[in-house]
Amino acid sequence: MMEPAEKAVEEAGEYRSNRERKTVFSFEINGVGSMNIKTLKEDDTSIHLLIKGTNAAFMNTLRRIILTEVPTMAIDEVVVIENSSVLRDEFVAHRIGLMPLKTDLDTYNLPEACNCGSEFGCNLCRVSLALESESGDHTITVYSGDFKSDNPSVVPVSNRIPITKLAPEQKVKLEAYARLGKGKDHARWQPVAVCTYRYLPIIKINEKSCDLCEKCIKVCPRKVLRKTGDEIVIHNIEDCSLCQDCVDACEKTPNAIEVTWDDESYTFNLESTEALKPRRILQEALKILDEKLNNLLDQLKGIQE
Amino acid sequence: MIIPVRCFSCGKLVGDKWEDFTRRVKEGEDAGQVLDDFGVTRYCCRRMLLSHVEIIDEIIQFHETGKKRQLHSSS
Ligand SMILES: [Zn+2]
Ligand SMILES: [Zn+2]
Repeated sequence: MMEPAEKAVEEAGEYRSNRERKTVFSFEINGVGSMNIKTLKEDDTSIHLLIKGTNAAFMNTLRRIILTEVPTMAIDEVVVIENSSVLRDEFVAHRIGLMPLKTDLDTYNLPEACNCGSEFGCNLCRVSLALESESGDHTITVYSGDFKSDNPSVVPVSNRIPITKLAPEQKVKLEAYARLGKGKDHARWQPVAVCTYRYLPIIKINEKSCDLCEKCIKVCPRKVLRKTGDEIVIHNIEDCSLCQDCVDACEKTPNAIEVTWDDESYTFNLESTEALKPRRILQEALKILDEKLNNLLDQLKGIQE
Repeated sequence: MIIPVRCFSCGKLVGDKWEDFTRRVKEGEDAGQVLDDFGVTRYCCRRMLLSHVEIIDEIIQFHETGKKRQLHSSS
């Protein structure tokens, strides 16, 4: 007779080896091709996907590449020529740096990858934006829309971001230089505000023991469950936050409702800063992952020879 | 001092929504409803606008009155 602890260890080992076998198998036979993607919601700024047939490692790779590697345009150098506003130079420069800019990835190069090799950059790796604003007799607000860009397609995503305010006879005059950069260097180059993935929940209701008390429906903060006829139905499973409140609310022993999750299905949520379209962000991330893997493969080949 | 350009936590652009937000709230609309209209859904971004005090407007008054006094003394 085995001790319970020993048994648990053995089971865990068995479980792990099963999982390993399964992972290898799915890579060899099905690969990424077996992945099933459904768009739940998409608009100009955000995308919500349901991805089946993958694992947490891949989802996290995708997430981290989007956060740290997908380049966007942002201002990283400001030359202040005149600033008599109530905000100090560095305060103004910081605000200017945080403005998301519409990014043209097809035209511009990352400064480190540009052929010019110049410290100051060239037309293909740098955009200059000028700002000159003077108040007359009244207090005015200087907006992001007051910037004059060298390239009319590289401009702030919104014209209504207040940069500073000028009391009568105050003036601000500066020149700003934008370039492509990556989120790992500074958050202003991150293409997204939100980039998250979550397990797809599985809710099981035991129809035999459920007495339709509706306590689980009332307690759910996301309103996932509904009553239709004499049955509790799952209305919007993607909204479930796995909080288990419905399980706690159930008075049956054992509980008539069970909440678990599917570790091969994920919902993926991305909200862009409007610098790039959500779909483009995903495409760029996958391109970068591909490059990284090819690089690794080349190096492995080098070791073999 | 002045409305932050982005949300401190998630990085969403919130600065451009401030003026419309205060105007509509002053006109009597429900602040939560206005934020929903702007698509500011997360509580990290909502607090940026809800709890903001535009102190720059108080400070800039010193510069405005200073200018007025200058005009008085020269005339
Ligand atoms: Zn260059
Ligand atoms: Zn936020």
